[in-house]
Amino acid sequence: MTRRPSAKIAAYVGVAALALLAGLTLGRPELVAVAAPLAVLVVAGLATARDPELDAEVAVDRERALVGDQVTVTLSLRAGTRVERLEVLLVVPPGMEGPAGSPGGSSVAPRTTGTPRTWAAAVTLAAGEERALDIGLSCRRWGAYWLGDVHLRAHDRFRLFTWERHLDRHAPLKVFPVPEALRALVRPAETLVSTGSHVAPQRGDGIEFADLRSFMPGDRPRSINWRATARRGGLMVNQRHPERATDVVLFLDSFLDVRGPAGSTLDRAVGAAASLAAAYLRQRDRVGLVSFGGFVQWLQPGGGQTALYRLLDTLMETQVFATAAWKGIRHLPPRTLPAKALIVALTPLVDERGVAALFDLLARGYDLAVVDISPLARTGAAGGEWGGLAERLWALERETLRHRYQRLGAAVVEWPDALHLQQVLLEVEACRRRAGLAPG
Amino acid sequence: MPAPRRARTRLTCGLAATAVAAVLALAPLAEVTGTLREALAWVAGLAMVLAAAAALRLGSLLGPALVVLLAEYTVVLVGRGDRIDAAAPLFGAGLLLYAELASWAREARPGVSDERPVLVTRAIVVAASALAALGLGVLVLLAATLPAGGGLARLAIGVVATTLTLVLVVVVARPMSTRAPRG
Repeated sequence: MTRRPSAKIAAYVGVAALALLAGLTLGRPELVAVAAPLAVLVVAGLATARDPELDAEVAVDRERALVGDQVTVTLSLRAGTRVERLEVLLVVPPGMEGPAGSPGGSSVAPRTTGTPRTWAAAVTLAAGEERALDIGLSCRRWGAYWLGDVHLRAHDRFRLFTWERHLDRHAPLKVFPVPEALRALVRPAETLVSTGSHVAPQRGDGIEFADLRSFMPGDRPRSINWRATARRGGLMVNQRHPERATDVVLFLDSFLDVRGPAGSTLDRAVGAAASLAAAYLRQRDRVGLVSFGGFVQWLQPGGGQTALYRLLDTLMETQVFATAAWKGIRHLPPRTLPAKALIVALTPLVDERGVAALFDLLARGYDLAVVDISPLARTGAAGGEWGGLAERLWALERETLRHRYQRLGAAVVEWPDALHLQQVLLEVEACRRRAGLAPG
Repeated sequence: MPAPRRARTRLTCGLAATAVAAVLALAPLAEVTGTLREALAWVAGLAMVLAAAAALRLGSLLGPALVVLLAEYTVVLVGRGDRIDAAAPLFGAGLLLYAELASWAREARPGVSDERPVLVTRAIVVAASALAALGLGVLVLLAATLPAGGGLARLAIGVVATTLTLVLVVVVARPMSTRAPRG
C-alpha cells in the first residue's frame, strides 16, 4: 500500500516548533504548555503508525445479466493488524446504478455520487477480522462491464498517515438487453437448402401448397390430389413449398449515436439486434452480425445457442468510436455477407459512411431491409423559426434518402419511438410484399 | 437515514471546531484593554475566519489558522507581564481539540459514510487527546513553577525540547510517502 502523510503533521509540528521557539525566546512556559500536546501527539502517531496488513478480494456473483437485473459485488476484506478506519470505494461504471440500501445489513450507508459514480463506505477492522461487504448494483444499460475497480484507503489512529491501494482485479460482467417477443419476422427472398421455418419459393416437400402437376413415376401416392384427379381425368399431385432456413445478417450502423431523453439510437439498435438474433435463431436460421462503425466487427452467420451467445457478446462490445476514416463493405470478409443472405440494417441514417455502405450493399444485389431508427425525436424541439425550418428540411432529406433506397429495391421503414419493434417489422414485411421482394 | 448522518458528521465537526476556535480567539481579548485590544480584535477576527474556512471548506488553512491563534495568544501573554497564565493548558487543549475536530470534518467526505464504530472510536480518540493535552499542559506549567534547578536548568530543558522539536520538524519534512512495489 502507498503511504502518505497527512497535512496535519506539518501543521502540528510547525506550530509546536514556533510555540517552543517563542516560549524559549520570551521565557514563557505557557507557550511550551501549548506546544507540548501538539508535539507529543505527532511523536505518538509516528511511533505507533504501522503499515496495515490488509488483503482484499473482489468477486461478482455472475458473469451475465439482463438489463434490470441486480448483481452483487462482494468485497472480502481480511486485516492482519487493526485498521482504525478503512475507506472502501467501488467505482460504479456508467450504465450501472449503486445500491439504495445498506450493504450486508450493516450500518454502513453507501452512496453513489456523480460522474464517475462511486459507492463508498468506511469501516473498522480488528486484527484478524474478516469482513465481506455485499454491494448490490442494478444493471441499467446493456454493455460489457468490468466490475471490481476498488480503491482502499486506511487511516491510523491519530489520522496522521493514510495508506492507499487500488485493486484492479476486475471481474467481467455482460449485461444483455431484454429480448422483445417477436412473433413475425422479415421473411427472406431466398432461402438455403437446409430445413428451417421459412416457406421457400421452390417446390419440394413441405406443408404449404404451391401448385398441381401431372403424376410422374416416383411421386408418392399420398401426394395425389384426388379431387383434381377426378376433375381432370388423370392423376394429379400436389406440389408444396418446402420450409427452409436462411442466412440473416444484422447490419448495425454504429458510426453515430443520437442521444436524447427517450434514449439513444444505438441502444435501440442493439436491443433490436439482440431480439432479432434470438428470434431468427429460434427459427433455425443462421445469423451473422456486422457492426459497422468506428470499430468494424463482424461475425459469420451461425446457428444455435452458441451463435446467439457469440453474437450477444459481440453486440455488447459495440460502441461509438470517433474516427474520420472512410469504411466500406469491401473491408469485410466475403463469407460474412453470404450471397443469398437477408440483411436487416438497423441504422439512424445519419452518418454518410453508413448510408453509403447500404447503397453499396444494394448495388451488390443483396436482399436488404432497412429499419431507420429515427433520431428526430431525440434531438429535441428546435428553437425558433430557423430551428423549425432546419428540422423540417432534415426530415425531408431523410425521407428523400428512404425513397432512394426504396427505388433501388430495399424496404425502408422509419422506427419512431412510439412504435414497438414488432410493428416496425410488420411494416417492413408489408413494404417488401408490395415491392415483390417477399413471398405473399 | 444514512445520508443525513454523513452530512451531520461533517457539519457537526465543522461547527464544533469553529465554535472552539471562536472561544480560543475571543477569550484572550478579555485580558487586554485599549488599543491593543482593538488590534487584537482584528487578529481574532482573522483567526476565526481562517479557522472556520479550515474546518468547513479548506483543510490546507489549518496551519495558518493555528499560527494566527497562537500569535494572538502570545501577544496577550507578553502583555500580561511576569504572571503565569494558569489557563494555558486549557488553551493548548482547546487548540488541539480545534485542530482534531477540523481535520475530522475534512475527513468526513461527502461520498463516504462511516459506520458507527468508526465514529465512536474517533470521538473517543479526540476526547482522550484533548484531556491528555490538558494534563500535559498542567504538568508543563507545574514543572515550570518548580524552584529546583533554577532558571538555567529550565533554560537547558527548553533548549533541549526545542531542539528535539526541530529535529522532529526535519524528520517530518523528509519524504514520508512510500509507494507500493510494482507487480
